[in-house]
Amino acid sequence: MKKIFHVTTFTLRELIRSKMLYIWFLSAVVFCLLSYLLSILSFGEVHKIFMDLGLVGMEWSGTLVLILSLAVTYNTEFEQKAIYLQLAKPVTRGEYLLGRVFGFFAVISLVVIGMGLLIAGLVIFVGGGQVTNLFIDSSVFILIEMFVLTTIGLAFQMIGTSMVGVVLYFMFTVFLGHCIGQVEWLLNQNLAPAVKTMLRIVHFLLPNLEAFNLKDRIYDPNLILGWVQWREVLLYGFAYSFVVFVIGWINLEKREFM
Amino acid sequence: MTTPSNYAIQIKDLSKTYKTGFWLKPKVTNALKNFTLDVYEKEAFGLLGLNGAGKTTATKIILGFLAPSSGSVSVLGGKISNREIRNQIGYLSELPYFSREHTGRELLEYFGSLHGFSGKVLSQRVDEVLELVRMSKPSKDRVSGYSKGMLQRIGIGQALIGKPKLLICDEPMSGLDPVGYKEMRDIFIDLKKMGTTLLLNTHIMDEVERVCDRIGILHDGHLKEVASVPDILQSSVNVDYWVDVDAHDASKLSGVPFQKSVAENGGVQISGLVLPETLTLLSQKQVKTKGVRPLSSVMEAYFLKSIGARTSTEPTEVAK
Repeated sequence: MKKIFHVTTFTLRELIRSKMLYIWFLSAVVFCLLSYLLSILSFGEVHKIFMDLGLVGMEWSGTLVLILSLAVTYNTEFEQKAIYLQLAKPVTRGEYLLGRVFGFFAVISLVVIGMGLLIAGLVIFVGGGQVTNLFIDSSVFILIEMFVLTTIGLAFQMIGTSMVGVVLYFMFTVFLGHCIGQVEWLLNQNLAPAVKTMLRIVHFLLPNLEAFNLKDRIYDPNLILGWVQWREVLLYGFAYSFVVFVIGWINLEKREFM
Repeated sequence: MTTPSNYAIQIKDLSKTYKTGFWLKPKVTNALKNFTLDVYEKEAFGLLGLNGAGKTTATKIILGFLAPSSGSVSVLGGKISNREIRNQIGYLSELPYFSREHTGRELLEYFGSLHGFSGKVLSQRVDEVLELVRMSKPSKDRVSGYSKGMLQRIGIGQALIGKPKLLICDEPMSGLDPVGYKEMRDIFIDLKKMGTTLLLNTHIMDEVERVCDRIGILHDGHLKEVASVPDILQSSVNVDYWVDVDAHDASKLSGVPFQKSVAENGGVQISGLVLPETLTLLSQKQVKTKGVRPLSSVMEAYFLKSIGARTSTEPTEVAK
């Protein structure tokens, strides 16, 4: 456990110092400007605009930080071979990978929570509104989504053979993961059996990122969010992450470092 | 007498094949072919070879970074996958690379913590290692500002942080300036005195000559030879010599059994096997010699001879 902790703190420090948090700052500036512009143009409640845009900003900035972190660390660890010196130490590859997952997630959590606090401040002090429970729920859902994406990204790092490949596969997965509703719609259409089989495989393999998308429904009067829904989302998120982590771990164990 | 219990590394019939290329036209490269080697505890062993000879492949298999196609490797009496075994090994890669965002000290603390050190013990060990690799002063700067030599020193520092019984270094002198090179060599000599087993993967002959007890010569994936360094240095390997002569005496050189006349440059190249006779002959012909120097080291000549490269001129019949 201690070794996982050491890898986590090392990764966290590495990512923070490689100026990943500048992206948070940039996202915050963009979000504030956009919210301000929209609040001038709209006749609605300003605090609702802040919350709507803010949740999108939280998800985007977290994903962006993750993509850049994956690219930067792929270069350091695999292309420049910094991983060699670590794996020659008495640390298992599983411990190394788990430490990296936690380190990445810690940085992304900082970005998402930081953004969330900024939005809460704007809602209360500029918009004159209140931060709702659904806003907090949505933020936690985004954090779970980020955990899933972190394990996916790092699993791609363990499998991938180039930085560009890792980033492209990851972005493709994020995009398709948000299109799972469209895949389900296609499955209900009258398509050729081969196409349907392929779609079923895609549907089975892809992460259902829409399961974590509460932000689009925070003003939905028909929304039901109880213990059952929470349990489903948590179970799905952690089960999917676990399976992806194991795949990444097996690949790292089998990987040959030329 | 060496018994199997004091082997640091035992390699048996190790082969490694890389398959590359398109599936219809796969290209198979045999990086190692039936490589067998024993490295004893507390010895310094130099693995020599040209680029692409298979040295790095062998090192990576020993460390578990590559899986062998066939054969077996035992390190410190066990398997490299064993965490306890890895705790007793230090590894320095060629041109080590670290996350640029950490200081030298932080890196050593991290690597030390992976060896299980913590608190004051860790801090003390980091100080000792920084002192040993002469990096105490710049250790608080981020490694992004370090020179190649400084990175190499932090590299050797991280390899030593766990007080290894066995130190494996892949081209440890790469990119070092003469001062860094000498310092690194001194570190190796100190480690050897302290009883650390060294496996140096290199093609720098001077390093091998001064540090190693034995060498193994890898060529084209085959282990061509294993020999003791003192034996090589005492052997009568043919080394060519360059004899500087006075330019005015160039005309007197005819009939001298040198192998390569470079009279225009004011000298002659002579096989070491006929050096005394040739110097006597030059003296009889009243040729003024300004100096005699070897054109390669004994180690280099031995290495080149082992791999079948043309090393020196052969003595002519006259000289023989």
